[in-house]
Amino acid sequence: MGFCPLFDRIATLASGADVKNKLATILSFPGTSTSASRSELRGHFLNALRVSESPVVIDFSGCNTLNHDDIDLLIECAARVSGRDREVRFAAGSRVIRVLLEVTRISSIVPVFDSVEEALAIVQVPRMDFDDAGQSPDSGEYL
Amino acid sequence: MELATVIMVPAREDLTAIHGAHPQAQPLYSSRMPILGNDVLRAWMKRIRTLGVQNLWLTSTPANGRGTWFALADFARQGIERFLIIKLKSYAELDLADFVSFHRESRNSVTEAQDGRGLLGVSLLDRAALLCDKQLESQDAGERNPYEFRGYAKRILSARERQELVGDALIGACSMRPRGTEIRKQVWVGRDVQLAESAKIIGPSYIGERTVVRAGATIGPFASVERDCVVDCGTAIERSTVLPFSYVGPGLLIQHKLQDGRYLVDLLGGEVGGEVADLQPAGLGNRIPFHGTARQESRRTPADEPEHAGAAAWGFAPFSTASQPWLQVQM
Repeated sequence: MGFCPLFDRIATLASGADVKNKLATILSFPGTSTSASRSELRGHFLNALRVSESPVVIDFSGCNTLNHDDIDLLIECAARVSGRDREVRFAAGSRVIRVLLEVTRISSIVPVFDSVEEALAIVQVPRMDFDDAGQSPDSGEYL
Repeated sequence: MELATVIMVPAREDLTAIHGAHPQAQPLYSSRMPILGNDVLRAWMKRIRTLGVQNLWLTSTPANGRGTWFALADFARQGIERFLIIKLKSYAELDLADFVSFHRESRNSVTEAQDGRGLLGVSLLDRAALLCDKQLESQDAGERNPYEFRGYAKRILSARERQELVGDALIGACSMRPRGTEIRKQVWVGRDVQLAESAKIIGPSYIGERTVVRAGATIGPFASVERDCVVDCGTAIERSTVLPFSYVGPGLLIQHKLQDGRYLVDLLGGEVGGEVADLQPAGLGNRIPFHGTARQESRRTPADEPEHAGAAAWGFAPFSTASQPWLQVQM
């Protein structure tokens, strides 16, 4: 993970499937999709939107395929952040999942990356205000 | 008899052997799937007729080719001097008469046709080559004298090359032509196609017989939707092929793909076949079962028959001498 200090910081906080901090919330898409697992993911997603302003990354690396309920859920996730100052990103994990996200046109409304690392690599640095001397008021605390 | 011709249709297990494709690719397309309504087997038969050959044998190659080899050796013992063997894995605009002349003049026992990308699966064998103990695959490369083909050829079992063939045929860059009516420039449709008024067809593209294109769908450019398919509302198909009896769900964007029923191959995903996505769990694609009406049944052509059943529809007679099922075709 050395190429991405941001991910290093998140990874050190990891405990189990979900990782949450102020930079991004990572939610693992269930490998076996059931009504209960989707409901749980939906709850985590809504909670992440409620408690943090950071982007939410949904990680599909443990998932081999998507069914129509999964796709409905993903579209709902996209709709939940649409028009709000929030962002959701998908880490496809495999080419098959990426293909399914492309053919359903979900990739046209939600940015899709190959991995969580890539999804986090472009987490936007908060906008900085500089004083007259060109110094950042809180240099070193971008993240 | 001086020359006998054998066409070997790759068995399903041969797909992985030929292309090293992912095992998931096994239920996918075969060499008998139509290309713009054309049957590549028939295209080869047309070329074989130019040689004046009366008999053609059709067989399905098993994963282990020893049975085929022994069967050919049986033919050789019966007095056939030379064999033209075509493995149905490529479409090549080969001049077979020139190929045979080259073989005779080179005086080699085995001649194989190849292009810049390798062997085309077309070879000529003399009786002597069959009656020796070594199989074709195990013979030294030095014993072969390849026929360098510089014309048009595509490996039809490669999803990517297959799509290249579709594109070339649609723009007239090869001799294959879509089977249908050209309703406007570079747009071909087969019989009994149902196009919704709001459907948009962008040429070059092809829509096969009895295919239904529903409201708001867009077909093309460089798209081929083969016969008996349903493209549901709002779906766009570009630079892709949909194989027969496939249902394509609503609102999809199919770009650079090959769909066969429930399976979708990404043509950009890899050199051979790419990744295979299963559309069925999401209700986005499926195989349409054949429930032909009497009218449809009467209109069915041999190419409509399922794989391995087509021979019977063409009046092929089983040939019992060989150790595996062979079918003899009267040319």
